[in-house]
Amino acid sequence: MLARVWAIYRKDLLQELRTKETVVAVLVFALLVLVIFSFAVGDNIAADAAPGILWVALSFGGVIGLNRTFAVEKENARLEGLMLCPVDRAVIYWGKLAGSFTFMLVLAVVITPVFLALFNLPVFLPRLALIIVLAVLGFASVGTLFAALAVNTRARDIMLPILFLPVVAPVIIAAVKATAPVLAAAPWGELATWLEILIAFDVIFLVVGTLVFEFVIEE
Amino acid sequence: MNRKKLRDRLLLALTFALMMAALATVFLYAPTEKHTGVIQRIFYFHVPVAWVAFLAYFITFIGSILYLSKRKARWDALAAASAEVGVLFTTLVLITGPIWARPVWGIWWTWDARLTTSLVLWLIYIAYLLVRRFAGEPGRGARLAAVVGIAGFIDVPLVFITVNLWRTQHPTTIIFEGGLTGSMLVTLLVCLVAFTLLYILLVRQATGLKMLETEIKNIKRMREE
Amino acid sequence: MENLGYLLAAFAVIWAAVFGYVLFMQRKQHRLEREIDLLRESLDKSREK
Repeated sequence: MLARVWAIYRKDLLQELRTKETVVAVLVFALLVLVIFSFAVGDNIAADAAPGILWVALSFGGVIGLNRTFAVEKENARLEGLMLCPVDRAVIYWGKLAGSFTFMLVLAVVITPVFLALFNLPVFLPRLALIIVLAVLGFASVGTLFAALAVNTRARDIMLPILFLPVVAPVIIAAVKATAPVLAAAPWGELATWLEILIAFDVIFLVVGTLVFEFVIEE
Repeated sequence: MNRKKLRDRLLLALTFALMMAALATVFLYAPTEKHTGVIQRIFYFHVPVAWVAFLAYFITFIGSILYLSKRKARWDALAAASAEVGVLFTTLVLITGPIWARPVWGIWWTWDARLTTSLVLWLIYIAYLLVRRFAGEPGRGARLAAVVGIAGFIDVPLVFITVNLWRTQHPTTIIFEGGLTGSMLVTLLVCLVAFTLLYILLVRQATGLKMLETEIKNIKRMREE
Repeated sequence: MENLGYLLAAFAVIWAAVFGYVLFMQRKQHRLEREIDLLRESLDKSREK
């Protein structure tokens, strides 16, 4: 079963690596969000708002990216092909999840150092890496489910953000609240609750996604 | 009068009676709060409306699960109707909240934990309604919306806990000092029952409507074949 | 009795919203019932043919 997950993941990965168009476009978009928000927020507040700005860029970039990776026309044909195999639907979910997770992780890995540099923050922050991994996992768990859902609607471009953003509000809040102490080199105690929330969210929605994905791609 | 009509009439009468009782307790029975005065009485409607909205989303959650497992139109109709009423009631929470906050604290909006959670819930269930509208065919809409109904409700405790933690770092507004006196509690309970009955009334009506819509769509489709 | 206006506004909004929704549902009900009658008529007519 793991092999099938890997197979789905690999196919998506190779597809994306071949063209690279989505990744590059989303990276540019996320960068733009970073910059525009910095302008909009202004000088004095920018330092305090920094964690928020980072996570806005990552969430918006993530959503746009998810939209693009699922919206390909071939995607539907390929999904139908997958559905013909007697494969457990959850396997498809995990295969797609791996793809979404990788995508958003790449986004984070590129955008975060740029962000840290722009705000004159230390660049080596392993705890930030932990927050990013947990948060991106949360995004991916919900995003994969809702992206497959949105693709089946008429207004697919706008439906995904509308569905995704309110539901991942806890992730965004927790990520921002956890990032601030990390940037200020505060002790673990200040992070702990927020990390617990992220972990809880991840576990809960990975389970929900696994159970419910089949109903989204039925048909 | 057949049984169903009798039940409907009874429910209507009961709801009306309890709403009158609610009005009476709120304006005649409940004491005036020391610090904020008369405006505090909004509490007796604001809180029950919020609780009932939460109940509505719970019913949508149950309806969604039942629909996905049994695929009977009435579960989908119930889920959709309950979500609609839920959004209506949440809108009321979001409007009465600021109306209360403005004279008391001089601000329209406060990122208070409960109000913020209501805002997020409002957005989630609006998305639910939009999915129904933007799906290709009604069958698909019901199925996709059911997924949203399930995921959305499971998100609710996470949202509430997270927002709560977020806001307790900035303790700004306290609803009011002191606990609830006996008469305040009684008033609150009467209003809670009144609004729950109202919810049941509205959802029954709305569910019936949705079933009617589905029936019409089926007839039309049969005619085309 | 200050802020009575606000109190009234809050109650009025609740009342208006509920009343509005009930009205909306009633209108829809009538429209749908009429539509079903029309459909039934046309089905009967086509059956007569």
